[in-house]
Amino acid sequence: MKPEDLLFAPVVLPLIGAALVIAAKAFLSRKVVKIVEYIGAFLGLGLPLMFFAIIYPTISNGVVIYGIIGGWHESVGITYQFDGLAWLVNILTYSVCAAAWIYSLDAGPEGPSFTSVFLILTAALSATIITSDIFNLFVCLEIVGISSYILVASTDKPGASLAAFNYLIISASAMVFFLIGVYGLYRITGTLSYQGITETLQTLPDHGGTSAIISVALIIASTIIRVAIMPFSGWLPDAHALAPHAVSAVLSGVLIKVPLFALSRVLSFIPSGASAGQLLGYAGALTAVLAVILALCQNDAKRLLAYHSISQIGYVVCAWGTAIHVGVASSQGEALMTAAFLHAFYHALFKGLLFLSVGTTVDRAKNRDVYTLRGAASILRASGERIPVTLITFLIGALAITAIPPFNGYISKNAISYALDGTILYYLLFVAGVGTVASFIKLSRIYWQKPNEMISTKPQPVPITAHISQLGLALICLISGVIATPIYANTKNLLTGEYPQYVTNWYSPATLMKTAVIVMLGAGLYLLTTTKIISRLLKKLRELPSHFESLFIYFSIGTAMLVGWMLWFK
Amino acid sequence: MIERILLFIMIIVGFWGIVTKHNIIKKIFALNIINNAVVILFVLEGSRIGSNAPIMESGITHIVDPVPQALMLTAIVIGVCISALALSFAFRLYKITGTFDVREIKRQVHHEA
Repeated sequence: MKPEDLLFAPVVLPLIGAALVIAAKAFLSRKVVKIVEYIGAFLGLGLPLMFFAIIYPTISNGVVIYGIIGGWHESVGITYQFDGLAWLVNILTYSVCAAAWIYSLDAGPEGPSFTSVFLILTAALSATIITSDIFNLFVCLEIVGISSYILVASTDKPGASLAAFNYLIISASAMVFFLIGVYGLYRITGTLSYQGITETLQTLPDHGGTSAIISVALIIASTIIRVAIMPFSGWLPDAHALAPHAVSAVLSGVLIKVPLFALSRVLSFIPSGASAGQLLGYAGALTAVLAVILALCQNDAKRLLAYHSISQIGYVVCAWGTAIHVGVASSQGEALMTAAFLHAFYHALFKGLLFLSVGTTVDRAKNRDVYTLRGAASILRASGERIPVTLITFLIGALAITAIPPFNGYISKNAISYALDGTILYYLLFVAGVGTVASFIKLSRIYWQKPNEMISTKPQPVPITAHISQLGLALICLISGVIATPIYANTKNLLTGEYPQYVTNWYSPATLMKTAVIVMLGAGLYLLTTTKIISRLLKKLRELPSHFESLFIYFSIGTAMLVGWMLWFK
Repeated sequence: MIERILLFIMIIVGFWGIVTKHNIIKKIFALNIINNAVVILFVLEGSRIGSNAPIMESGITHIVDPVPQALMLTAIVIGVCISALALSFAFRLYKITGTFDVREIKRQVHHEA
């Protein structure tokens, strides 16, 4: 069998799994449904991983598999493209989704409906990155959206329904503007495939002029809503904080990154893409700083993590946008793109891990407030956790996100820093790093000291599935940090088609020194936030009213700025 | 030209409705309006050439561009899904809070959380 024939496996297998599960729910008895659910999940989440292993040798040789779905003529069919980028993003998607699904088995939300929606989400994420047709991208993003709205609301918390509703309205209206962008490009170029659009635009005088730029800007802005960099990120904290833990892990780990890399397929080659990349790079760096300040204000443990997702995606977008600005084929662009993906991947792993560990903890403690919850370690022990697995996995996640060697966050953040050295973005990210350390010192305090209240009732024990998924992710966080050099080399090869010319020394004295400085400054910043004046200020910031309308106002302002910037610097 | 101006007004009305109306059912309707405006925009674009519906039977010539129509079938289906889901959220919120006013819902939800 040729690899081309297997290409749809990561899209079709989860869909088959979802169909099996939902059909079983309708027709079979409860016991059988459970078995079918496992089969469906294995089919949808396990088999594709095997497929990626089989196809890896082909892809790493630089082979890109192109094709048209259904064998239609090129001008009408939907084109797709499976290359190194698609392989990498698929690996990211499937590893985190599989871990999150295992976690959900006992910790909820469980049941066949959850599993089938979850599998549909996985399939759609995979399709988003494989497609190379702009309208198909719209469809994939909508399916990703619809399934994620359902997943956010799949808990009985009333806040979750409202968060899901807000998320739905803002992203569904943004998708309307995506369609208007597609309309503009179709009108100008008469085609929908990325390649066709790029080629036609390059032949046109003035590259299609103002209307082409506005169309591209609309497409970028409405995709960036999903990526949630500021000012487009208003919907994210509620949705991520109130969703069930397993869903939060997938939303933060995977869902905000896949649209970004799908967008890079369009932006890297389109004439006006470079200037958009520059603006997004700046926006990303500013987001990294601002979101970390907001994270420092939060009192809800999961909200704090959600703001960190915005901050970390800021890092990724900063490197990604700058890579597109300098050109993905230049050596700095290649290094930046590799670093951007590496950080996206590593962030997916450690943020997934953090959401799961903190989720396990707050469920046992029945308290999510960072300021009042204390002694979570002893609460976990009281629940029957003899070896403090959750504490250890939390610490691994926290050390990874604050870039302490030898965990993976250290590698990817430094890869970004190396590539950005000397620019203003470098310093912005440095500040964000300090804030990250401070807010994780704050979050980790929930584990220490004595519990505020006596543990009267024994908390329910932590299920084994939660331990498995947490340990699995923690192990990958550690391993991918230790053997970073080959991973970096292979990622670069998959993204750019060549291995790095020289081996980066990740543990050079200067880098280690910088890490030490960041940690010390972070500790200092944390101490500063515990003072009366600053903590009152943070409380004020936290309680700033947020209106539903502001989501749209920020969206309009952001889009207008993007259009203006792209017209000015075209 | 007049069609385009009307469509532009339709989009503005929809956007205005989503942003300023406090009733969540009205918000969902406004989302529908803006969605349909874009659907009509595409179909209008397709009809710049030709005048007959692109149903390929013998004897039919001079058809409009079929691609936008195919695209819009998909977009309409997605729009229906989104509306249905949004309405089900609205129903759920109504069951919890007993109101459709988004400010009131927010107030109550924050109280409970």
